[in-house]
Parts: sequence; C-alpha cells; structure tokens
Amino acid sequence: IVLRPCYLPPKGYSSFTRAPGHPRVPRRPLPRTPWTTRGPPPGAPLPRSWQDKRPVQEQIPGLEQVTYAGKQYFVPWLARPRLPRWERGWHDPRHSPGPRYEAMPLYKERVCYVCHQRTKMLEGVRQALWLTKTKLMEGLPPKVLSIIDEPANQLENEDERVQNAISHARVWITTELIPKRESYCPVLLEDLLHLCRTMASKYPSLSKRMLARDYKVAAAWERESSILQVRGMNGILLNAINPLLPVASKDEILATENHILETFHPISPTIDLQEVNVYEERHDTGFREGYPYPHPHTLYFVESANVRPVRFRPEQLRAKMLMFAFGNALAKAKVLYGDDPKVLEHPVVVQSIGTEGRIFQFMVFQLNTTDLASSDGVKNLVWIDSDQYMYDYIRYLPGIRKKVVKFPPGIYGYRPDTFKKFLALYLHGAVQDSTQTQIL
Amino acid sequence: EYPAPPGKMAAPRGWRLAWQGHCRLLHTERSAAPPPPLYPPVVASHTAKSKSAKRRRLEYFYQQVHEAPSIAEKLRLYGRLQRLKYVVYPQTFSLNADRWYQSFTKTVFVPGLPPAGAQPAGPGAPDLSELRSLACDALLQEHFYQRKRERPFLYREQQHVPGPFLTQLVSSLSAALGSSNPLLATSCLDLKPQVNFYWERGETVVCRGYRTGRIDPVRFQIDDEPLIQIRVPKQLPEFVPLDYSVPGEVPVINHKPDKLPLFKRQYDNKIFIGSKVADPCSYGHTQFHLIPDKLKRERLLKANLADQIEVTYRANGIASLFAWTAAQAMYQGFWCEADVTRPFVSQAVISDGKYFAFFCYQLNTLALTVKADQNNPRKNICWGTESKPLYEAVEGNNVKGFNDEILLQLVQFLLNRPEQL
Repeated sequence: IVLRPCYLPPKGYSSFTRAPGHPRVPRRPLPRTPWTTRGPPPGAPLPRSWQDKRPVQEQIPGLEQVTYAGKQYFVPWLARPRLPRWERGWHDPRHSPGPRYEAMPLYKERVCYVCHQRTKMLEGVRQALWLTKTKLMEGLPPKVLSIIDEPANQLENEDERVQNAISHARVWITTELIPKRESYCPVLLEDLLHLCRTMASKYPSLSKRMLARDYKVAAAWERESSILQVRGMNGILLNAINPLLPVASKDEILATENHILETFHPISPTIDLQEVNVYEERHDTGFREGYPYPHPHTLYFVESANVRPVRFRPEQLRAKMLMFAFGNALAKAKVLYGDDPKVLEHPVVVQSIGTEGRIFQFMVFQLNTTDLASSDGVKNLVWIDSDQYMYDYIRYLPGIRKKVVKFPPGIYGYRPDTFKKFLALYLHGAVQDSTQTQIL
Repeated sequence: EYPAPPGKMAAPRGWRLAWQGHCRLLHTERSAAPPPPLYPPVVASHTAKSKSAKRRRLEYFYQQVHEAPSIAEKLRLYGRLQRLKYVVYPQTFSLNADRWYQSFTKTVFVPGLPPAGAQPAGPGAPDLSELRSLACDALLQEHFYQRKRERPFLYREQQHVPGPFLTQLVSSLSAALGSSNPLLATSCLDLKPQVNFYWERGETVVCRGYRTGRIDPVRFQIDDEPLIQIRVPKQLPEFVPLDYSVPGEVPVINHKPDKLPLFKRQYDNKIFIGSKVADPCSYGHTQFHLIPDKLKRERLLKANLADQIEVTYRANGIASLFAWTAAQAMYQGFWCEADVTRPFVSQAVISDGKYFAFFCYQLNTLALTVKADQNNPRKNICWGTESKPLYEAVEGNNVKGFNDEILLQLVQFLLNRPEQL
C-alpha cells in the first residue's frame, strides 16, 4: 500500500483549495520526478542488481574453476569438482537402473495419454466429455426416476435405517469423538450397500449380482490423432448376470449426431493425463472369460483422503467417474462386438456413484458408439446428477446456550431423496417399471 | 437396652423435659423421627495404607459405578484407572494358548456344537443349491476369474484371496437369507471393526515399582479386529439355562500369565463392541475371523506343530467371543459387581479360506474378580468344532469336492434368531 504523505494535496488536486460545488476533475499526467515515479524511465539501463548475470565462465571463456580434485580432500575455499560417475564394470541385477525407455520392447514414438485413478483433470467433466465423445444430460434419466416414484421400491423404515447408517459411520464407529474421513467414508458406502442388499427378499434377481473390489480395467481408443487409455484400479464394481437395457431411445441417440462437443481452446483436451511412450493398447474388463457375472452394472467411488488438497473436488470426481465408466463400457463393448470402431446396435450402459462421505454424485453412462476417432457422428450419452447432499452436517457435541441444550447432537438437514436415488440406481435392471419401453 | 434415666421418678412433672434416652416408654407409638446422631459414623480411614482403607476405597468405587447415570458413564468409570495389564491376542502363536485363555475367562470348552433348539419353521426354507452356487461363484471369482497379481506381497496372501472371498460369501449369503431370517434384514454388517474388552481376574503381588508388595488384581485387555461382524438389535436365544452345570472343568494353571508368553502394557481401558452405546444394534450375532499368514496351516506343519493347528482356532474363538459377548453385556449395564441376569450368546466362524471352524459362546457370568468369584458356581461355556475344509481344490473354473455340511452349518448359524421372530 502506498501511503500518501498528509502534507501533499489528495490525488487529482493541484492544491488543497477546491472550488465550491465543483466536481473532482482528473489532472493532466504528472511530471516525472523521483517522488512521482518508481523505477528507471523506459529506455534507461536497469540498476546493477536487476541486470541479468551470466556465470563468470560464460563471460570469460577459457577460465576454469580451481577445484580440490587434485588435492584429493575437501577445502572450503576451492570449488567442488565434477567427478566422473563410478562404473561397476559388470551388470549387477540388484543395482542396475534398468533399461532406458527407448530400449524397452513396448517403446513407441507416438505418445499415449493415460487416465488413472489419481488423475485430476483441469477442465473436469467438459474435458472428460470431449475425450469420450459424450453428450451431457442434466439429471437422472426418466427410467431411473420412475423407479424412485414406485412405492414398492422402498425399504421398511427407510429414513430411520438410513439415518442409523449415517450415525453409525459418522459417530458410532470409533471410541474417539470424531472419526476420520478414511474410516467413515467406506463404512457409509458399505452400510448403504447392505441396506440395498436387503431388498433381495423382494426382488430375487438382485441376488444374481457380485461385488468385485481391487480389480483393474484397461481400455484404449483413439481420439482425433491422440491415443488415450484408461488403466488401473478404480473403485468397487457391481457385476450382474444380465446387462442393463439402454436408457435412451433410438431417436435420442440419432439426435446426438447434431451435438457439437465443447472444446476449451487454448487448453489441450489431454491436459493432466499422464504421457507415456512405453505402452500396450489392450482391452481388459478385469475378469476372465466365462465369468458368471459378465456385465458391469455400477461403479462405486469412495473419495476418502483425509487431507483436503489430496481429496478430489466434486468436479474432478465426476470426471474420474465418467472416464472409468466409459473405460469399463468400452472394454465390455470390445469384448462383445470386436475391435472395429462402429455404432453399437445394443448400447452398453454402466452406472456410477461417487461419494466423499456426505455429497453424492450419480451418473448413468450409455456407450452408443466405439467410433471415437472423429468428433462427428453418433455420440455417447451421460446423465449426471451432481452434488446431492445426504445430510447437511453432523453435530458431535450438544450446543448449550445458557445451560440449556439448544442443539442436540445428531444429524442435521437429512435429505431422504439422496438414498432413494442410490436405491433406484441399485434396483435399475432388476425392477420392471411402468415406463420401460422396448428399445431393442 | 438403655437403663431408665435416674431423674424419671424424682421429677414426675418435668420428666418429659429431662428425657434424654433413645428408647421409648412401653405402650407408646413413635411420634417423631429419632433424633439425628450426634457423631458421624465410625468407619475406616480413606487414605491410610491399610487393608480396611483399601476395602473402603473399593466400596466407594463400586458405589460410584453402581450409581452412574448412563452406561457410557459407567464404562468410563469402570476403566478410569490405568495400570499395567496383560494384552491378550486372540490370534497368537503361543503353545496351548486355548487352556490359558479358558482360565483367564473362566470358560469351559465343550467340543461339538450346542444342543440344537427347536427352530421355528421360517417363512421359507432356504434353497441349498442356490446358496451353493453363490458360494462357488464367490470362490471362483476370487481364485480364478478376477485377474489379480500373480504373487501377493510377503505375508499378505490371506488378504489377497481368502479375505475377499469370505467378505463376498458373507454379504451374499446374508442378503439371500434375509427373507428366511427377518433379524438379518435389520442387522448391521461391519467390516474390520474394533472389538475391545478389559477385565480383572485373580490377584497377584506387585513385584516392582513404588507399589511393591501390594496385592493387585491381574488385569487383561483384548483388542481384536474380526474380518466381518454382524450385529443385531435383538438378543439371540440362550443355548442352555443360566445355571446349567456343564460337564467339564475350567483349566487351572498355576503359572503367571507371563509364561504364556503374555506381555504387559498400560493404555486406555477400552470396552467396545464395534459401535458406541447409542447404536440400536447392540447385540452380537456372528463374527468371522481370518487366520493370519503367520499362523497358517502350512507354516505350523513345517515347524512340527501339527497339534497346535486346532489350538489356534480354539484360542481365537474363545478370546474373541468372550471379549465381544462380555462387552455386549457391559453395554447393557452389567459388570463384575452386577452380574448378568440373563445369558449372552454369540457365534463365530474362524477360517483360513479353506478350513472352517464354528464356535458358539454363552456368557453366564461376568464376575471374574476374586471378590465377586468367591461364591459363583456359574461358568461361561464355549462350544467349538474342529476345522474342516469347505472344498478340496479349485482347478481352473471348477470347484472340486465342495462340502455341503460346512455350508449348511454356516447357513444354520446365519439363520439363528429369537423365537418371537
């Protein structure tokens, strides 16, 4: 902050006097004096301390530093010598740095961009939409919303049981007062999944599903002259015997041809993806052939890092959910329909739910085409319901004002709709709802 | 009886004013409350280094715990004093640990399973073939279909394949049996919860430190982490009546627990069933334990300890179930000076991925301290089976030699429920 000395007239005034009723008028530019400007005038040389300094050896060629290499011991007034690197003379496999990237068998000149589970994309969902050639639709599809409206698709004492699950995860799970996010977030997801599984008594086809943890997916595709890959462990996958039926009608799929993908020049769409030169383009659903539950149903993502800078922001979590849902769907489509890029007759649907303990992101992804090289043609579809709060906050200690308990400990701001959507996404595919139309 | 006061006959008109005795005249009613005592009661000292002072302090402590306003406060007061205590590990490599643990917890071990009570016919008998296919699918998914690392890291083999297999098996079986057992539909499934219990049993002389020579109770703490735990809101029915005289004896071991080996540490005296007192699901149903890598069958066979294989299962069953059941009893307000009025019952399945052993525990008494155990004929009972394999081998995508009995026993464990349901 530049403080003006009080004995000078204020800015815009030549003297302390002011004509009565006259508005303040900006003056003509100030004269250049040491009091009114900072720094040297344009064109003048910079002060010595601001000038660029090149090392002495560059300014005086032929000048070598005197080092203590000849003395064979350290002295503080001579420079540190640069000695040649010691060579073992023979190849010791336990102390070898390994082959260079260029010498590896899978080395390729063309760079491949890999999305893994720690990739935080700068542009978030917009970037993921461009990379996967997808059109975004806000809100969940009407098919899933109709499952919510059906009264038979609710648990008994649903609110009480969900609130018990939230209290269990957030308050009761530890002997200390407040549990860390790393402990309560996975426990909340497991409790909600356990509640959903109890619906198997009503719908027996729900028992034909299997959860898989710590599995790895691999999918590769080309997108406007860049090779992209999705690799690695992502989340908990719910596999089902029967695939999910397509959510959008054929007309909606054909209507996506006119949609133009959003770009964000000058940022490249492959920003924040890991560039690798040593890679192998392969497709792997994570399971071998003959697996009795071949179709991916829902992916559950748990964002439970304790520290806020490490944790994924909601936008980045949604982007990660979209990329991995796409990766799973693409790997399944390549296994079912072959490697040739084409528009799929039976689109593959994969759902995805991500949470960080309080805020839930719901997503339904439909893979319509594996022809992703160009940006025209039929696009994939995704429905995202973002930032659904299950509750506002938890009070651990009672709020006492004037020796009266005014705010009892517990859950504040519970919203039942979030669990209804969670359950609807779980029941999707096993429940016959009234608005189901024959798309195939 | 006090003698008649001397001035009674001498001053007949003012005799009532000179009346200073405590006894009443004959044929009179007590008209007012007896006058308050002039001197406070004569009791032993509170702070002296004497046995009567120690007794008085103990009585005061017991009175405080009895009068605690809530169960959380009661648990806090019970474990308020921290002293060196033996840390008992349910999964231990110690030889013959099951006999030692029986003596610490006053448990009688009965081989086999408890007498099967008349289970009421449920809404629908479960289809064993469907459950068998679920179990085989879970087994094949973890062993064959899911692509995993070829070789897991050192000492992490159990959490590579058998751990996920057990988790998947239990969650799918409990979901499938929800229709047959309404209790499972309202249950709570915990993954890797903390279970802790702290108790005192027997007495010893303090050998080191400024408290040398004093008689102290021997303190124990169990900190357990079962793989999966099912908690329910209603208590399971008892296997045998509370005062049933078990054919068997609690082993008496005339050595200090240090010889097991058991080591002492001092830290928080925690009592925890897996969630706090406020949780409505405060009774236990079944625990599932995974034998760790260092206690696997192959390692014990290589070290010529083939007879210790069953001992590890038994020790794990007795210690874990005692800690869990006793913590459930303390959550209901019982403790060593206020013994249980109804038996508390839990079940456990201990496995290393292939071999399964089933345990049932009935807690009849919490009074294990020397003072409370003087006239206590009740004993805790633990029933347990030998470990049997669920399958012979998994070759490719088939399971060879699937044992239906083990699956049936598992299903019966999960279907256990009170008679009202």
